[in-house]
Amino acid sequence: MSDATHVDGCGLTNNIETADSRVLGGGAGTSAVASALPQQPSQPTAATPVRALAHMLLAPDGRYARPAENLILALILFSVASVGVETMPGLPSWAQRGLHVGEIVVVGVFTVEYLLRIVLAEKKLAYIASVPGLVDLLAIAPFYLSGLDVRWLRALRLLRLLRVLKLQTHVLETTVAQRTRELAEKNAALEQAQAQIKAELDLARALQIAILPATFPANGGCDGAARMIPATTMGGDFYDFIALPGGKIGLVMADVSGKGVPAAFFMAVARTNLRDLAAHHAQPGACLAATNDVLCSQNPMDLFVTVLYCILDPATRVLRYANGGHSPPCVRRADGSVEVLRGTAGLVLGAMPGVDYVDHAVQLSPGERLVLYTDGVTEAFNAADEAYGVERLVSVIKGHGAGAAGVLVEQICRSVKTFAGNVPQSDDITLIVLTLDQLVAAAMQ
Amino acid sequence: MNVRVETVEGARVVVPEGRLDFGAATGFQAQLEQAIADAGQAGAPVVIDCNALDYVSSAGLRVFLLAARETQRRKLKFSLCALKPAVREVFELSGFTRIIAVHADRAAALAH
Repeated sequence: MSDATHVDGCGLTNNIETADSRVLGGGAGTSAVASALPQQPSQPTAATPVRALAHMLLAPDGRYARPAENLILALILFSVASVGVETMPGLPSWAQRGLHVGEIVVVGVFTVEYLLRIVLAEKKLAYIASVPGLVDLLAIAPFYLSGLDVRWLRALRLLRLLRVLKLQTHVLETTVAQRTRELAEKNAALEQAQAQIKAELDLARALQIAILPATFPANGGCDGAARMIPATTMGGDFYDFIALPGGKIGLVMADVSGKGVPAAFFMAVARTNLRDLAAHHAQPGACLAATNDVLCSQNPMDLFVTVLYCILDPATRVLRYANGGHSPPCVRRADGSVEVLRGTAGLVLGAMPGVDYVDHAVQLSPGERLVLYTDGVTEAFNAADEAYGVERLVSVIKGHGAGAAGVLVEQICRSVKTFAGNVPQSDDITLIVLTLDQLVAAAMQ
Repeated sequence: MNVRVETVEGARVVVPEGRLDFGAATGFQAQLEQAIADAGQAGAPVVIDCNALDYVSSAGLRVFLLAARETQRRKLKFSLCALKPAVREVFELSGFTRIIAVHADRAAALAH
């Protein structure tokens, strides 16, 4: 409390000096309010240093806002108390003089405050007509009006009690300013926390992408290329190439339901289990059934994953596959026609244990292409809310499938991107293209 | 996405409208859970009428899976009806038609 009083004292001298010059500048004491009001908008050039002063003292982020605020608060309390003291009978004349000087100081400071508030206000008339504006005016008006007609003096003195209202608006303003500060601090803390979460998610995303195989297992007679374009949020697509016993190659294309950290974790669990179990199951259906049972027992979030699992024997070019709820693969035949390998739809993995997955087999030939994809491709939407669809995919495979695996991957990605236009990618886009090499295959025969 | 819940012939009929994607899944899940809880009190069947459902993503499918589990746990009848071709394809592709009963229309679903 004593600290606050000390600060008030410092502020007081400053303010009185300004108060004097300002009131004097506005003319004689009685006409100061009347003449200052209309002058204010008509003197924008002269207002610049004054405006800076107003900001320094009265703006919530002003340099001296705190001392100025405390000074005004102290003066309000002093002036309300002095109204009571004045009415005490037998008050010595020195005390009366002291109170009168005090009143002049109070009104001087309040007048400067009022004028500076008008200067500071964006909409001056709106401030003058506002409740705080009217209260500020009422707080000083009695003093000036009492100079016009002595008969009103007594009644107008009582009006000074209205300064209690000023106290109220003042306290309100202070509270609002404090809450605003607190809110700003909390916002900053939140933003920082959010930035940290984002950084951690980005890291998790990078790890998630890093576990995807970078290269296709070296093998005579076939080649593969793959690409995943992650959506903005953390998704759950993954693919895998697994080198199996006997020179066979396992191909995995999968999509975890949902997004975010749970999907990413489930993806890692699914990939690891499938990779482990693939080594022990010669048939893709049996491998999916075993993986499904494991996933059902490790699935607290009730997520599931669609998996297309293929086993290619490069020696015979027989592709065996089983489908756990995934989009059917496409084969581009040597004559350029494209076949969609629709097989019996198996259940997604992780939904229910004890489910069987039917094995399918297809004979591939040299020069043919196998395309595996996730629904991020076929369910990419454009501005007209149309899905990319299987037909568009098939036509790109037909038109651009003759070249290398990587070329077809790029062509499909480009086609999807062009189709979607400015619509943000909502799901991961993942592709594998497998080519059965004409030349090497011919040389082997 | 808009979801209506009706009571028809003692059954709770849930009618989702529009696109059931990742963003809509959480809200739909809450409404469906509430409908199943209400149905559970009365032992009433739960039918999801998909006549106005345009699209289901994998996150949307998960909500159907959770509903199938919950109704099974509460021993309530649970079925879908009136699937649009695109939605039907998603349910068939994912194998969900193997674990959830699907009927041609609401009358057929209520008759079961």
